[in-house]
Amino acid sequence: MRLFRWLLICVSLILAVILADLCRAQAAPRKPGELVWTIGYDPKTFDPAKVDDQESELVRYLTAGVLLRFNRLSQKVEPRLAESWGLSSDGRTVTFKLRPGLEFSDGSNLTANDVAWSIRRVLLKDTGAPVAEEFVSPGEVTVDSPDAGTVIVHLPKRVIGIGKVFDEIAIEPADRPSEGRVTAGPFVVAEYRRSQFVRLRANPHYAVADGAALPYASGIRLDVLENPEQEVRLFERGQYDFIAGIPPDYFELLKQKDPASVRDLGPSLNTEQMWFNQAPSAPIPAWEKSWFQSRGFRLAVSQAIHRADLARIAYLGHATPAYDFISPANEEWYDHQISAPHTDVAAAKATLARAGFRVNGVALQDSAGHLVKFSILTNSGNAARMKMATLIQQDLGALGMQVNVVALDFPALIERLMHTQDYEACLLGLENVDPDPNAMMNIWLSSSPNHQWDPSEKAPATSWEAEIDRAMDRQATTMSHAERKEAVDRVQQIVADEQPFIYLVYPNVLLAVSPHLKGVEPAVLEPTIAWNVEDLRLDGQR
Amino acid sequence: MKINRSIAALLFGLALIASAVVLAPGASYSRQERDATFAAASRQHMAGTDELGRDRLVRVSAAFLLSLAGAIMASALTTAAAAGVGTLAAFGPASVGWLAMLVCDVFLALPWLFLLMMVRSALPLTTSPANSAAITFLVLAALGWPACARAVYRGALHLKSAEWMLHARASGLRSAQIVRHAIPNFFPLLLPQFLVCIPAFVIAEANLGALGLGVGEPLPSWGGMLLELDNSAMLMQTRWVYFPVALLIVVLLLLDAIAVEVE
Repeated sequence: MRLFRWLLICVSLILAVILADLCRAQAAPRKPGELVWTIGYDPKTFDPAKVDDQESELVRYLTAGVLLRFNRLSQKVEPRLAESWGLSSDGRTVTFKLRPGLEFSDGSNLTANDVAWSIRRVLLKDTGAPVAEEFVSPGEVTVDSPDAGTVIVHLPKRVIGIGKVFDEIAIEPADRPSEGRVTAGPFVVAEYRRSQFVRLRANPHYAVADGAALPYASGIRLDVLENPEQEVRLFERGQYDFIAGIPPDYFELLKQKDPASVRDLGPSLNTEQMWFNQAPSAPIPAWEKSWFQSRGFRLAVSQAIHRADLARIAYLGHATPAYDFISPANEEWYDHQISAPHTDVAAAKATLARAGFRVNGVALQDSAGHLVKFSILTNSGNAARMKMATLIQQDLGALGMQVNVVALDFPALIERLMHTQDYEACLLGLENVDPDPNAMMNIWLSSSPNHQWDPSEKAPATSWEAEIDRAMDRQATTMSHAERKEAVDRVQQIVADEQPFIYLVYPNVLLAVSPHLKGVEPAVLEPTIAWNVEDLRLDGQR
Repeated sequence: MKINRSIAALLFGLALIASAVVLAPGASYSRQERDATFAAASRQHMAGTDELGRDRLVRVSAAFLLSLAGAIMASALTTAAAAGVGTLAAFGPASVGWLAMLVCDVFLALPWLFLLMMVRSALPLTTSPANSAAITFLVLAALGWPACARAVYRGALHLKSAEWMLHARASGLRSAQIVRHAIPNFFPLLLPQFLVCIPAFVIAEANLGALGLGVGEPLPSWGGMLLELDNSAMLMQTRWVYFPVALLIVVLLLLDAIAVEVE
């Protein structure tokens, strides 16, 4: 008995020590001049060449020295490590002139050799760099460095928006990849504690064109935190400097307390949409596939959804009804002339009747007498999506459709979407980081695994999918901007007519910013607030 | 051993009121009045409406009835299974008793939450909300019997060595005859187990609902409504978000008081 008591005391002590350590770790003190905000999960990699997730991409953005930077506010490509750059008339040769006196964060010189090595590393198949795909044929790209200040990239064929691709290639010391610890960007990775935080410190050798001592902040701490409730509370206590992408209900809460602390930038480039599984190999009944492959069925569903209610109730008014894959925020590419089906329940019923469906009592049946009953899958933990799915459930109930709403955790959802294809309809969002529609090639080409309603088609399953393929190819290869716009407009109209994706809303960009944070010029594009991280600083600092 | 009639009457009264609310003409737990989201309490909506404009009183009443009915049925199943296993273990050969208790231990050691998550994600996506509720309670019953069986086993062992049992054996009664006489003696043992399981299942279903694994929309559940409390933005909208948790606590206290009284 005495032994048991002692054991109990020892175990309690050990637990107390562990708990104290955990508490101390979570309450990491802010260093002087350090900016603090959150990321939703641990970055999967610090190797800038292997970035494939949003949080790793943010770390790369904050740490990487790049030849060109895509200005998120002006949406123009600007030279960064490159003093100047040029594209040959055939669009197949890119020439960079480096700025003189460039150094890495450890003080070593940055030369054209480092630049060429970094680009070649990204292009190597063994590296597995996702950005390599943007070169279309990365294996055929060659890189030369004729002198210490010049780098020439030869492309086998023209690549649309090639300048933006170099925004994603970090220049690292040749043969010394360091996973962000030696960089030519504004910050370097200083410390990482799994599930707690990533700490960056300012690069003392960071050079900008006008010679100003940037970045202003001495460092950045990115706390790993996915609970919005906790994030908002800590923001209110001044522990976080901003929240990018705050949920609408918390936005309203903060707005009530301090209207100056929140900003609604209007529609983002992101879309929320639902789609039906049209894959012939999907393990669902044949009659369901025939509904989902019916244009009339998809059109009727689209016509029955009250998108204004989705925006008003699920997003508390901080979203815009969506009918197109290009957001009105993307002024260059949005087609104002598009003719899309708008909410009209009577028209939806007529469309269904024309497609062979009939109402028996209160339930809708197809021509063979099967009850129209399906599930909408979405990811758990996203309140706005759950609300939209429940609202759509009632909207489609008005047509006699019986809809189940199923929320699954993300891995289970992805397993069904990408591997088993065992689902009927899905409601998810798409984050568009690049306003150029060329970045959506992987969604629209019928052969793509991300062609969600029927992935990896061997040949286009329908004539309209074939036409989308042709239009997307045309916009990717033509030298004429007008012809590109025409091709993209055509894709927008086909998508509006055929409704493979039923677009629901464009969520607004919602931000909360501490009054102590200066230099903020929020942009619609990611990373909304941190895009000009060099200029961000706390009140009273320098 | 008797049930406190006033507590039972209070619980029954609550169930009656809830039934009246759910069955009232025009009442619907799923109808969305989209222009009246987060409406304050009124004659039309006595506890206001939720974020989708659904009547909060009707939803809470329906959740209460669903949870109570499901928990009672699950508890009955659990108690029946526990009675079978516990009796078999006590009156059967020693090896059977040992094996039955080993199975109980294995079940008790199972990470039931993960098991429930697996079962929930393995369900066909077209499983209707009503069926998903039934399956949730069935799974709870399937996982809840071992602790109960252990208690029945201990009681049955005690019964096995009771004086009247020894007399019965000595006077040459056959096993079937002994069991027939023993069954009424099990009721004092099984009733507390049955009553203890009901609040346990109510709270288990609420926990599962709060994790998004319980009853599907638009069917209301305690867990789904308790989720609102996790959001301070929601708490600012209306104090009626506390109504489900207040009623849940009252119901659990009443169920617990009945179980304690019987024990």
